[in-house]
Amino acid sequence: MTVEAGIGYALIALGPSLALFVSVVSKKPFLILTLLSSTLLWLISLIVLSGIWRAFLPLKSTIWWPYAILIITSVGLQEGLRIFLWRAYKRLEDVLDAFAERVSKPRLFLTDKMQIALAGGLGHGVAHAVFFCLSLLTPAFGPATFFIDRCSKMPFFLVSALIALAFGTIHTFSMVIAFNGYAEQNKVDQVFVPVVHMVAALMTLVNFALEGCLVGIPLLYVMAILTLMHCGRMVWRRLTEN
Amino acid sequence: MESSILDSIGGEIIGVMSPVSICMFLVVLLVYALSPSNPFSAPASSAPIRTAANLVYVENPSDSVGQKLEGALLNALVFVVLIALVTFLLVVLYYYKFTRFLKYYMNFSAFSVLATMGGSIFLSIIQHFSIPVDSITCFLLLLNFTVVGVLSVFGGGIPIFLRQCYMVCLGIIVAVWFSKLPEWTTWVLLVALAVYDLVAVLAPGGPLKILVELASSRDEELPALIYEARPIAPQSGGDRGSSLGLLVAGVSDSGSVEMQSVSRDNPRRNETASNHGDDGIRSSRSDEGGNSRDEGETSPLVSNFRDRDSSSSRSSEFSVVNITPNRGGQFGNRESEIEEEMSPLVEMLALGSGRERERRDDGENDRSSGRGIRLGLGDFVFYSVLVGRAAMYDLMTVYACYLAIVSGLGCTLILLSVRRRALPALPISITLGVMFYFLTRLLMEPFVVGVATNLMMF
Repeated sequence: MTVEAGIGYALIALGPSLALFVSVVSKKPFLILTLLSSTLLWLISLIVLSGIWRAFLPLKSTIWWPYAILIITSVGLQEGLRIFLWRAYKRLEDVLDAFAERVSKPRLFLTDKMQIALAGGLGHGVAHAVFFCLSLLTPAFGPATFFIDRCSKMPFFLVSALIALAFGTIHTFSMVIAFNGYAEQNKVDQVFVPVVHMVAALMTLVNFALEGCLVGIPLLYVMAILTLMHCGRMVWRRLTEN
Repeated sequence: MESSILDSIGGEIIGVMSPVSICMFLVVLLVYALSPSNPFSAPASSAPIRTAANLVYVENPSDSVGQKLEGALLNALVFVVLIALVTFLLVVLYYYKFTRFLKYYMNFSAFSVLATMGGSIFLSIIQHFSIPVDSITCFLLLLNFTVVGVLSVFGGGIPIFLRQCYMVCLGIIVAVWFSKLPEWTTWVLLVALAVYDLVAVLAPGGPLKILVELASSRDEELPALIYEARPIAPQSGGDRGSSLGLLVAGVSDSGSVEMQSVSRDNPRRNETASNHGDDGIRSSRSDEGGNSRDEGETSPLVSNFRDRDSSSSRSSEFSVVNITPNRGGQFGNRESEIEEEMSPLVEMLALGSGRERERRDDGENDRSSGRGIRLGLGDFVFYSVLVGRAAMYDLMTVYACYLAIVSGLGCTLILLSVRRRALPALPISITLGVMFYFLTRLLMEPFVVGVATNLMMF
């Protein structure tokens, strides 16, 4: 039950992403490159953040407000990163279209654009799951497990895998929403994404209370489902319009 | 719906990245699986293995930082000097056309690596997982594995897939051995090799540069162990190639991009001496001569066509493989050929520490749209060594190093399409990898662990 448990936790966190990767991304080399570069960007943002916060660590685990500031700055930086990604993507799209004309192939289809956005978002989601869940999972392969005081009902690995799954979903699909919102100049979508991200991140503060994870995780999943539904509706609308 | 350009762009890059990823992944697994009760480490802890890479100084965990650094620097220096000497020796041999000798030497070194180093790794796997195998069966299996490996790497008529598998195997075996080096020595050695690679491939008079030029002026295959990523669907290659260029340059003529990287490594490592070799990394573009290698069959095609229909040529390539080093030179063709396909690397010098370089032809770019990217086995080895060493610290550093190396490789490939000559594949990746390792270890890990254990995530 040790190796199995470790693999199970990893699959909880990354299973849906893996399915998306296999079914959508892996068939198109360009999407794989998009995914890798967006993962790398996310990693760089994390390193920058940790460089900024390194001086203040370790934070006292009894006071919650430093964590709130930490989360707000982190989400702010990552949302800034998303705008940068959008700019980069815009230029890329022009290059791709120019290239498509040269080889006399059709320009990018709407679905192509969405797939690129999906791969970019998947990169963020995978990076989150890898660094916040998978890299802490090594002990789960051993003959013991680990509980933290504030959440004594579930092993830490299970909690982090569940949270990683929720965030992976949010990251993946909010990128699709955001890119579409930028492309359509749709203010609602443009605001929706940072707000969802921020709210979801702040919800993890609920875990700070004793046994707060029993409340915080369901709330987080509400946000994830909200993102998913919004994304589904938007994609459906775009596809039927075209 | 009609195929969009997304389907075709970037295939070559992935063709190179996926074997590198597989190699790194397996090395990490092996390092993980074998490290706790490592049969090597048991004796090694009492009497550390002596190899060419730590001739001068044997690292001891209790030494001071200054001592370790000094010793590691000396080790790296000695190792790099050894590699440089061996590379020059190879260049001299090649210059005087001792090609047969080189070929047999490489056969022998591949055999010894697969049989002895590979054998001891298999033994440790068998011990570690308590696999019930009797010695005779094991010996037979090992012999078969080795012989098929040598044949597939150097011989002709073997499916390219098998050859690629064995190249990855060679990379894994050598990398696992290298990962037994002590920590400081490993890091300094990696950086030193990256610098050496840069000099050897790019500086005038660098041994690898000489070798590439020599090979291209003779229209021969580079004598080296090289992984070649061959396009699976030959026809599409043209587009892709061009697309890469386009993407890169933003604009360009479609035809132009080819890259190849070829590397060679020669390390010979015996068990005792773990290795030294040279790595040369280079990628040569075929245009210049490289193409010829496929000689037999391809050559006619190749020479004639310089156009971009490379497709025909490619197909031909598959079939061939001989490796005679001297094949006639057609080297006027530079333009015409497309090397990508050159399947056989004919001669490999050695495997060892390779380094690779990639280069592309300058001359031809325009013409040939096809491309194959070749990566020296040495690059495989040292990428994997870096990741394997990172795996001994933590999983987080593994992911960071993997991303850094792959993105470095991507940058190198893009540079390749811009510069069109052989480029060293180690420097960018190793620099990024080392940087990310220490950033992750020093900055990110306390941050992420501190935040995540409080269940704060974002």
